Amino acid sequence: MDDKLQFNVKIMVVDDEVDLEPLILQKFRRQVRDGKYNFVFAHNGLEALTKLIEEPDIRLVLSDINMPEMDGLTLLTKLKELKNPWLKTVIVSAYGDMENIRTAMNRGAFDFLTKPISFDDLEITINKTLEEISIIWHRMQEHDQLISIQQDLQTAREIQLAILPKTYPPFPERHEFDIYASMIAAKEVGGDFFDFFMIDNERLGFVIGDVSGKGVPAAIFMAVSRTLIRATGLKGISTKDCMGYVNKLLCNESVSCMFVTVFYGILNTLTGEVEYVNAGHNPPYRLTGGQIEKVEMTGGTILGCLEDFSYQSKRLTLNPGDMLFLYTDGINEAFNAADEQFGDDRLEHFLADSHEKSPEEAVKGCIDAVTGFAGDVAQSDDMTLLAIRYNGRS
Amino acid sequence: MKLEITTSGEFKMVKVNGRIDTTRAVEFESAVVSLIDQGCKNLIINCFDLNYISSSGLRVFLVLQKRLSGQQGIFRLCCLQPEIQEIFDISGFSTIFQIFPTEEAALAGEK
Repeated sequence: MDDKLQFNVKIMVVDDEVDLEPLILQKFRRQVRDGKYNFVFAHNGLEALTKLIEEPDIRLVLSDINMPEMDGLTLLTKLKELKNPWLKTVIVSAYGDMENIRTAMNRGAFDFLTKPISFDDLEITINKTLEEISIIWHRMQEHDQLISIQQDLQTAREIQLAILPKTYPPFPERHEFDIYASMIAAKEVGGDFFDFFMIDNERLGFVIGDVSGKGVPAAIFMAVSRTLIRATGLKGISTKDCMGYVNKLLCNESVSCMFVTVFYGILNTLTGEVEYVNAGHNPPYRLTGGQIEKVEMTGGTILGCLEDFSYQSKRLTLNPGDMLFLYTDGINEAFNAADEQFGDDRLEHFLADSHEKSPEEAVKGCIDAVTGFAGDVAQSDDMTLLAIRYNGRS
Repeated sequence: MKLEITTSGEFKMVKVNGRIDTTRAVEFESAVVSLIDQGCKNLIINCFDLNYISSSGLRVFLVLQKRLSGQQGIFRLCCLQPEIQEIFDISGFSTIFQIFPTEEAALAGEK
């Protein structure tokens, strides 16, 4: 039981018989002395309501029915209006007065006692009522915690979205390429990410990643991965050295075998050459000369698993007009109501029609195609897309 | 997802039926980890009826491998469908795990 309910529980006794007060204090003197109960007395319904305002920590009301000014049944109606879920009322009525007892119960009394009061029975009733109040109290606290977690998640979502690039075009002065990307998390926060940054005046680093699992654990791992890759990538080292270094660091950080698949590339904006490492990620597509082709794998495995893994890079050269299209498996593995996957075929079919699209149109169009395909089926995985068109030297 | 657990000599054989997505990965992990807790050291996962695995599912395979190799146990996979094999190839898991074409090969440890 909560400390607040185990000790010094405030109980208000409402009765117009003034003799009751010393009697109760006498019978429960041990509990009062031990600080278990703390009694407050009122002599009619109106006085009881005033006391409740003055002492909002009253948890239990023990009320007579027949009283001047405001009787017990009216008091019950007023108490109900307070909508205080952990304030319970026990009614005391004349023996055999079933009509009033029924009315009291219907107005929300928790229990009743009959006169003459048996103090043993009273104590049992008080304790039983306090247990019920305690359960409600805990439930309310859990509810509050849940609300607070939801608010935290919302904040986490905002932070996560804030660390991903979100202003387009990101480099308005660069005309050699166009770039656009988008991440749609399946839950409040996701484990996918993308990033891009100018390493120097000529080279653009770009990355897409997918952390195992989703939700908060994946989001934290995502933030660490994204930050490590950006910080390492900005040093201007080769993609394979960058992946090797980040992998080592993530292996040290990885708890319970979390991992991340990453495609990291560096585009030389003067030549269109792309140096890249695929660390266990779905191969991106290259749209070139009316064809679509998968970017060759580099034999790399996921990051965060094998500490001494040696990553190898490959190179390809983009012709002016070519587009690189990177995605996470939330795209091709989206399910529809018939339990079919969107699949590589539909993705390739979409891309076959996308040669004339800008990166922004391709990314948005693909998301529309996948959400249209999935229909009412809830999104089961994060979806992330990144597209770059190389325009050639300006 | 359904699991069928049999014993074959020194090995426990777990046959996975259906999908290991994010939700089911949790059930899958606790079921197989409890096998290990009960003393199972050598484990083969038969993936013949496994038709989808998410990254959370792959993570569980890593957990199992780590647990078993930590106690000099054996962890092997067998009978991967082409789509699952492709996921393993893309992610580089094919180089991390011992994968066999049949149960017999997995039991013998010979590809």
